[in-house]
Amino acid sequence: MLTPYYAFARKSFLSKSAYRFEHYMGIFNTVLKIFIFWEIYKALYGGRTEVDGVTMSMVTTNFVLSLCLDAVFTMNDFYLPNRIRNGSIATELLLPISFKGRMLADNMGQAAFKLIFHFIPALIVSVLIVGIKAPASFPMLVMFVVSALLGYGVLWSISFAVQMCAFWLINVWSIVTIKNVFINVLSGSMFPLWFMPEWMEGVLAFTPFSSIYFTPVQIYLGELGFAQIAQKCLIQIVWIVLIYLIGNIMWERGKRKLVVQGG
Amino acid sequence: MSSFIEVTNLKKTFKVSKRSKGIPGMLANMVVPKFEEKQAVKNISFSIEKGEMVGFIGPNGAGKSTTIKMLSGILCPDGGEIQVAGYVPYKQRKTYVQNIGVVFGQKSQLQWDLPVIDSFELLKAIYRIPEEQYKNNFNRFVEMLDMSEFLNRPVRQLSLGQRMRADIVAALLHSPQVIFFDEPTIGVDVVGKETIRNFIRDLNKEDKVSMIFTTHDMQDIEKTCDRLIIIDKGLKVYDGALMGIREKYGTTRQLDVEFVENTVIGAIPNVEIKRLDERKVRFVFENHEVQIDELMNHLLSNYGIRDINVSEPEIESLIRKIYNGEVL
Amino acid sequence: MFDTLRLAGIYTKIIMRSWFQYRVDAVLRSLAVFLRESTGIIVIYFTLLKFDNLNGWNIYEMLFLYSLLFLTYGILIVFFTGFRDFWKMIQTGNFDRFILRPRGLLFQLIFSNADWFAAVGHGSLGVVLFIISAGKVGVVWNAVTIVYYVLAVIGGVLIQGAIFLFLATLSIYLLDTGSLKEIIYYDARKFAGYPISIFHKAVQVFMIYIAPFAFVNYFPAQFLLRKGDMALFPEVYMYLTPVVGVGLYLLAYAFWRYSIRHYKSTGN
Repeated sequence: MLTPYYAFARKSFLSKSAYRFEHYMGIFNTVLKIFIFWEIYKALYGGRTEVDGVTMSMVTTNFVLSLCLDAVFTMNDFYLPNRIRNGSIATELLLPISFKGRMLADNMGQAAFKLIFHFIPALIVSVLIVGIKAPASFPMLVMFVVSALLGYGVLWSISFAVQMCAFWLINVWSIVTIKNVFINVLSGSMFPLWFMPEWMEGVLAFTPFSSIYFTPVQIYLGELGFAQIAQKCLIQIVWIVLIYLIGNIMWERGKRKLVVQGG
Repeated sequence: MSSFIEVTNLKKTFKVSKRSKGIPGMLANMVVPKFEEKQAVKNISFSIEKGEMVGFIGPNGAGKSTTIKMLSGILCPDGGEIQVAGYVPYKQRKTYVQNIGVVFGQKSQLQWDLPVIDSFELLKAIYRIPEEQYKNNFNRFVEMLDMSEFLNRPVRQLSLGQRMRADIVAALLHSPQVIFFDEPTIGVDVVGKETIRNFIRDLNKEDKVSMIFTTHDMQDIEKTCDRLIIIDKGLKVYDGALMGIREKYGTTRQLDVEFVENTVIGAIPNVEIKRLDERKVRFVFENHEVQIDELMNHLLSNYGIRDINVSEPEIESLIRKIYNGEVL
Repeated sequence: MFDTLRLAGIYTKIIMRSWFQYRVDAVLRSLAVFLRESTGIIVIYFTLLKFDNLNGWNIYEMLFLYSLLFLTYGILIVFFTGFRDFWKMIQTGNFDRFILRPRGLLFQLIFSNADWFAAVGHGSLGVVLFIISAGKVGVVWNAVTIVYYVLAVIGGVLIQGAIFLFLATLSIYLLDTGSLKEIIYYDARKFAGYPISIFHKAVQVFMIYIAPFAFVNYFPAQFLLRKGDMALFPEVYMYLTPVVGVGLYLLAYAFWRYSIRHYKSTGN
């Protein structure tokens, strides 16, 4: 039953390996970003061991994990928009497999490739240069993996919903760019959320962004008890379902619009 | 006195570097560059008079576009000389290009998102065309090419034929003395092609501008050019009247015969016999080896014949033979 | 001269009209660019709410440092987009058309490509940051500082323009300059948002001598702000931005001239 989706994932996995040099540059860029933030926070800490109970090595771990995950969680935000623009969506909808399933399979194939060939080397190089804290315990490491997978789900469903705008707007570059601004600022990959001003924390609680990278990082560092972990993971699941459902309503309406207009 | 366009012993060799992608390959290349030499133009000479219209053809990779690029000043030659209208193309670029017009059928010079007329206005400023001259040329060409209905439409909405017409006018607004057409009918439908050919021929007659015309469509050449230059593998293989080709190489004749019934034909000396279908047979021969009336008498007296048809070979197939080196 | 200016005006009109064929998208794009470029600033704002200063630089001084980066980029993108995208013209052969027109090659390259919308996105951000910070960083705005500031902006534009022109020229020789551009332009620019004194020595060398972004914003800002970390670098560097700008641009221009001859003799 899953075979066609596996085929799409596999194809996407393999196609990633064709651009070898681009790929090395990607790893270099991930490490470079980590290095820049590490240097900035070294200067900000200025020899202090901790600020608000957060140590320098916790900050470093936050950047290493979230920026390496960020590389794995690359979304192809133009998968659907491109197909709407060039009209090929009409014929692809006729294929006897789910288009949404293909979207996910394609992205997961790419993520699998990035996990092995981007995440791991970037992680190793970063650990050699800036170091990282060991996971709090083995169960926490397992829970980190689970929560990171859910984080991927949140990010994917956001991208899914935003792509649906293409049914009405055709050109979604601007919206995708603006979406990425929110993710970059509020997900913890560029700014450790411990340091968020209090009034912003209130706002954050009503958005899905902190559950993408920051929740897994907190679990990895052992900051949360099991009850809290269960609660945070539940929040991740709620976000996935909620955003996916919104996206799905848009998908059904968009498809109908497509049929009415005849592509 | 030398001709209007004078090309002598033109040579161009490319060093094709074996480039590899990415920084490692790039660095390796910077230290030890790897080159292959490719002689695109080996030795070509010709001269063209003012007002002449010359078809310039050859198979892909023969050196056509390299020669056109050297004539228009985009490339400079490795050896030999070029003079066009008193200029050396690659030396006095800015003054020289004021005198030439170039149409690349594959590459539009129009502004994609804007109406055709906006591109013309821009060219008017680029070439510093005086108001009066611009108006005259504009009105005349728009009428000749029947363009008034789509002048205000964005280029991206035009058909290929309409776009090509607009591109041709764009290259002519500054009244060039020499015009290079590089495949100006490529991809255009039959009617569109006819419009373009007629325009080019009329313009050549009325304005006495020199034109060089490359194409893959022999119909273009047959309907517009009196003179033909064929180049192959970087050398000139034919230069002369279009009709001269037939006289020089077109010695083959073919006779298509339809018989009354399915007939077995016995061998005839010096004649190649091809069966087309049950009753139709084609006889191919050289007209200096076999007398056509003798062959026809032979057939009429021995077999029952319903229809008979003699034809000369198409120019196109002759030229294909020239490319293949069959007739030289 | 007048004729040339007129043509530049017509090019600009043409570009504007092309953009306004897609009106909503054009406005949204400017906004998106504005927000995307604000990302780093929002992050630094949150960071300094907590940490107060970065190696002695407070939030306004940081914004002032940023403003130079965006202001110069806003101007840069008007004049030098054509250099940035030159490799595409080489690959498609569209550059040949420029050779066939009776105008200067660089002139055509510059004015037929000006990206006014990106310029509005970046430039307005630079202006906003300047307005927010200029009054709060303790700079006395008099004839000397104003003239210096203007010269520094021009110098900063020229430095980045020279990097673009250098990369553009390289694409005559190399198939793919994308990765090189990534490192010596975009990566360097990531560092340039911060006082370079906080970085590893190797990064500082890179930012001063290889991709000299330090002269685009750090040293000019130091001339006006005189922060303590300037002690790490020769004092004369604060005055060099215009010189570095003009010098680098002339070098890049010479390389361009030489390479155009090469282009004409080798083709592509």
